[in-house]
Amino acid sequence: MANISPLAIVAESARLADDVRIGAFTYVGPDVEIAAGCIVGSNVTITGRTSLGQATHVFPMAVIGTPGGGQTESGECVIGEANTIREHATIYCGKGDRTEIGSDNLIMIGCIVGSGAVIANHGIFDNCCHIGPGAVIGDYVRMSGFAAVCPGNSVGDYAFVTGYSSVDRDAPPYSRVQGSPIRVRGVNTTNLKRCGFGDDDIHAIKAAFRDLFNGSNDNVNKQALERLRRDENPYVRRLAEAVAESKQRICEE
Amino acid sequence: MRGISQVKVLREIDPAARVSPEARIGPFCSVGPHVTIGPGTTLVRRVCVTGHTTIGSGNVIEEGCVLGTRPQDLKYKGHPTLLVIGHRNRFGRCVTAHIGTESGGFVTHVGDGGFFDDRVHIAHDCYVDNDVRIGKDVLLAGHIRLHDGAVIGDLVGIQHFVTVGKHARVGPRTPVRRDVPPFTNFFSDNYDWADPPAVRGVHEEGIAAARLAPEEEKELRRALHELFDDETALQTKIEQLVNMGVEGEVAELCQFVQRSLQGVFGRYRELTRGKPPAEADRYLPPELRTGVRESLP
Repeated sequence: MANISPLAIVAESARLADDVRIGAFTYVGPDVEIAAGCIVGSNVTITGRTSLGQATHVFPMAVIGTPGGGQTESGECVIGEANTIREHATIYCGKGDRTEIGSDNLIMIGCIVGSGAVIANHGIFDNCCHIGPGAVIGDYVRMSGFAAVCPGNSVGDYAFVTGYSSVDRDAPPYSRVQGSPIRVRGVNTTNLKRCGFGDDDIHAIKAAFRDLFNGSNDNVNKQALERLRRDENPYVRRLAEAVAESKQRICEE
Repeated sequence: MRGISQVKVLREIDPAARVSPEARIGPFCSVGPHVTIGPGTTLVRRVCVTGHTTIGSGNVIEEGCVLGTRPQDLKYKGHPTLLVIGHRNRFGRCVTAHIGTESGGFVTHVGDGGFFDDRVHIAHDCYVDNDVRIGKDVLLAGHIRLHDGAVIGDLVGIQHFVTVGKHARVGPRTPVRRDVPPFTNFFSDNYDWADPPAVRGVHEEGIAAARLAPEEEKELRRALHELFDDETALQTKIEQLVNMGVEGEVAELCQFVQRSLQGVFGRYRELTRGKPPAEADRYLPPELRTGVRESLP
């Protein structure tokens, strides 16, 4: 336990791996579990029933596992491996459900993750992103500065949310969404290419977007949706399923 | 009553840090080993300074500021790059500033006399010149250059590689995606996809602050109106101006706009993507001007 600053306040019952580094004035609560290789900066607060996975890096002034929104009891917050949580980020603990963050996410300065939100893996959330309570975020999502996901809405895999947008309905997978209310502005081809999608798959997804949203972005084409649910391309089927199952009406007036 | 002198004041200052004896370090501050803090600088409370950070004299840095942490850029390899902050700046609460990256010029530089309101973020490789005023919640992405006297409103997000010209003003809640010419007012009344922010008039306070000679001011106003009353055919209009023979501020304005037009999506500095910009040497401390970048793998 040589890596814990003498000025840090760590509860005796907190379970810390041997090589965890903790900076000065950081508070670690009694029900907190921190796995090996984690680095926690100074002035961080980690409270609630919170667990940090391996090699997670928490920067100074972040607050994790605090009860939010008038909630008084501490809840559960599970954070996976190799996440980076930057300065002043706030992650609230869950109210009934737990707040879950997968692996390899980069949560930048001043981001807020609401209670009960679920974030999958490999996401990048730019400064001051708000992820509302109960929101569901897919894999490889990119959110730009000041973007907000309203409570309970979802952002599909590989989607890109433009800066200042507010996701007030579900954002489909593979899409670029912009505005408030959001509109589908196209396919997030840059991210798909970086994530190793082949040209054929990207063309198929683009064609599916043209069929589904038909340029107007307002109403989903129902006939196309039924057809695309039986499409041979697995990515297109996944897109159609996500649109069909969306409870928050994907881009539909 | 218990006076402050009886309470043990907690602070963590690394023995290797070079902190001037005239600097005031408040309670709950943490100062890392490679930090230099000049005389008369105040870290109010709960400030964290790490990394290879140099802070000049007479700065006031308020609660919750984090200076000198590693960039959020995924290309950063972990070299000991620098954050250099000048003199007489005022940082509000929860301001963050990051060190530079290897490929972006090695240094993030903040000049003198700036005012940074609460929650401003200064990202890697930004060059902020003197006497800027930046509002609350402003995000400066990487590789941005702010010239002298720039005024940025609250909740502004500036995209990477943007240049904001001297004494220009950016209105509140404006997404800035291209260069802002000097002495102009840049904002959008109602931002949407079809109506992006644009140059809307002259920044009167900026012109007043620049203290130009009356004749030069007249010429500058004429050039600004000619170029930006209607932002079409800028290239032609600039060529006409230059052919008429321009000097001083007008020449600088023409050069600025021409450079922006050469750049990518109206951002001149985008041309320096992946390599240190031309002015990088000016901002590196003299002892590092030769040899640092050559030593990189």
